[in-house]
Amino acid sequence: MIAAAESSAFAPPVLKPADGAHGKPISAASDNVVELSAVRFSWPRSETSPVIDIPSLQIARGERFFLRGASGSGKSTLLNLLAGVITPQQGTIRILGHDLKMLGAAGRDRFRADHVGYIFQMFNLIAYLSVIENVTLPCYFSALRQARATRRGGSVAAEALRLLHALDMGSDDLLARPVTKLSVGQQQRVAVARALIGSPELIIADEPTSALDEDRRTVFLDLLFRQCSRERTALVFASHDGSLARRFDRVIGLSGVGDA
Amino acid sequence: MIAALALKSLRNRRGTAALTVIAIALAVSLLIGVERIREQSRESFASTIAGTDLIVGARSSPVHLLLASVFRIGDATSNVGWTSYRTLAGRPEVEWTIPLSLGDSHRGFRVVGTTSDYFEHMHFAGERKLNFASGHRFERAHDAVLGHEVAMALGYGIGQSVVIAHGSGDVAFTLHEDQPFRVVGVLERTGTPVDRAIHVPLEGMDAVHADIRGMPPDPLAAAVQAARASRDARDGSAPRASGHDGLVQDDSARTITAFLVGLKSRRDALSLQRLINQFPGEPLTAILPGVTLLEVWGIVGIAERALLAVSILVVVVGLAGMLVALLTSLSERRREMAVLRSVGARPMQIFALILGEAMLLTTLGIAVGVAMVYCGLVVGRPWLESQFGLFMDIRGPSPYEWGLAASTAVAGALIGMIPAYRVYRYSLADGMVIRV
Repeated sequence: MIAAAESSAFAPPVLKPADGAHGKPISAASDNVVELSAVRFSWPRSETSPVIDIPSLQIARGERFFLRGASGSGKSTLLNLLAGVITPQQGTIRILGHDLKMLGAAGRDRFRADHVGYIFQMFNLIAYLSVIENVTLPCYFSALRQARATRRGGSVAAEALRLLHALDMGSDDLLARPVTKLSVGQQQRVAVARALIGSPELIIADEPTSALDEDRRTVFLDLLFRQCSRERTALVFASHDGSLARRFDRVIGLSGVGDA
Repeated sequence: MIAALALKSLRNRRGTAALTVIAIALAVSLLIGVERIREQSRESFASTIAGTDLIVGARSSPVHLLLASVFRIGDATSNVGWTSYRTLAGRPEVEWTIPLSLGDSHRGFRVVGTTSDYFEHMHFAGERKLNFASGHRFERAHDAVLGHEVAMALGYGIGQSVVIAHGSGDVAFTLHEDQPFRVVGVLERTGTPVDRAIHVPLEGMDAVHADIRGMPPDPLAAAVQAARASRDARDGSAPRASGHDGLVQDDSARTITAFLVGLKSRRDALSLQRLINQFPGEPLTAILPGVTLLEVWGIVGIAERALLAVSILVVVVGLAGMLVALLTSLSERRREMAVLRSVGARPMQIFALILGEAMLLTTLGIAVGVAMVYCGLVVGRPWLESQFGLFMDIRGPSPYEWGLAASTAVAGALIGMIPAYRVYRYSLADGMVIRV
């Protein structure tokens, strides 16, 4: 309640008809998935200038947002802020109109489970789970995503299969393999399926292509973009590799002090 | 979900997990096994003296007398004269007596010289009486009745001839080969030292020892015989065994090692004990077996506690093994934790995952350990019986053993909190940064 009230005070919600496909009340409140205002963050022990200093930033539904920066530029810090793992010392971060700080630590974990898909640079998969189990993992932590996935695919497992097929990972041979026996590219695609299942509104990808070669990188981006635009999912894609930037709607560079 | 994850994670590391479980299982089986043996040996000791109100022997320490007379551990140093025995047995408070004459053996089993009162009044496990598996009581001087285990171990049956030897142990000093005993009965199992004894009439014993004294002097045998012979008023003129046909009562020169007394009323036990301890005829000791058994436990208790302490230490070592296994796995599992965080796992759930793994390992270890104890009991029971005279019942865990198992489980959970807390801290600090 509080979060919703604050949301309307700062940025009057643009009322749009509810998304017919998903029918999520949250998405009706605003077309912006991410809103940052006057966010400053510095690590506890460093007394120097803040790692993150972003006066204002909005990312809309379905937008492909490229975050460029060398390692150490604060990329991972920003992504952790967006995912709600850490909170800024100053400013507010709203995801889908919710002030993350107001949610509390447990609330942020639940919120992330419900609304954020996350793709790591590598080692995305849990070695002791099968491909399908890895994909369906978020549904065990989020009833919302479980419900959406079930509505979409008939069952959580069926939805996982549908996504894996869409990502060219649906062959019986690949599904039967232990995840450690998959190539890096294949592992990353399984990670995309996991991020997409249950249609979260925001997908955060932290250098997901840096372990892939040129050709695989292109294929990977194609698959990722196709799925994101089908779901109207906002994508925040962080990479040090500026050559990828041209394929995105919007690009910002982080170099210690961010600008939007 | 967390439980399913913990299970799958352990299955994935089944090699290490199996080793950890085995270590805990061995430790737990040691702990429970030691407790089992302690409990059952106490029970079997207590069951052996069931129904006996006093034990009387020559003056010695009560513990020594108890061990030597009933449990056949060690030897009595001196004997009781037959006249003293008859005098005391005739007292009005006394309901029954069982004389015992020890010191001979047959292939490692003790020979007990006694009267047929033994079969009448010997009790075990409360009120249970001795029963014959086959045959009957001894009737003639050279009849013998075997305890159950003697018959089993030596494969003896009715009609078997038994040569007894002077002294105890496998290597005896003198064989009474010319006076064999004939087995006329085999007792049922009692779970007491009765099972390991060969019972012969006192008359038979007199006969073979009379025979010894008739033999040409043998320095070694003579030395062994010294104590007994010095108390023995009779010289070599005893009638030979061939002269005995039935059981002849009384022989005033006879000596016995000790005798068991059953009273008409328990209340007389203390006064009769005092009276026997001040017996004018010869120096005697009377003990209340229950009280003396407590004294024995007092002595043995130190060793028992030491054993318990060692077993507890072994359990701690087993759990420490688990701690090491979990801690070493953590650094490689930090990224797994980051992934779990990214899909919405709360730090507490990650704490629960690791704690759950520790508890699963401990619980499995306890279950396997208890199963090992029971398998060990089934397999090792005959061996424990024949080697140590320990009679192990197979029964469900006692409340104390449940307590031991539960304490181990709790200790496992407590130890599991160490890696769990560590991971909890990691997952708070790392957030969703994958550290390689």
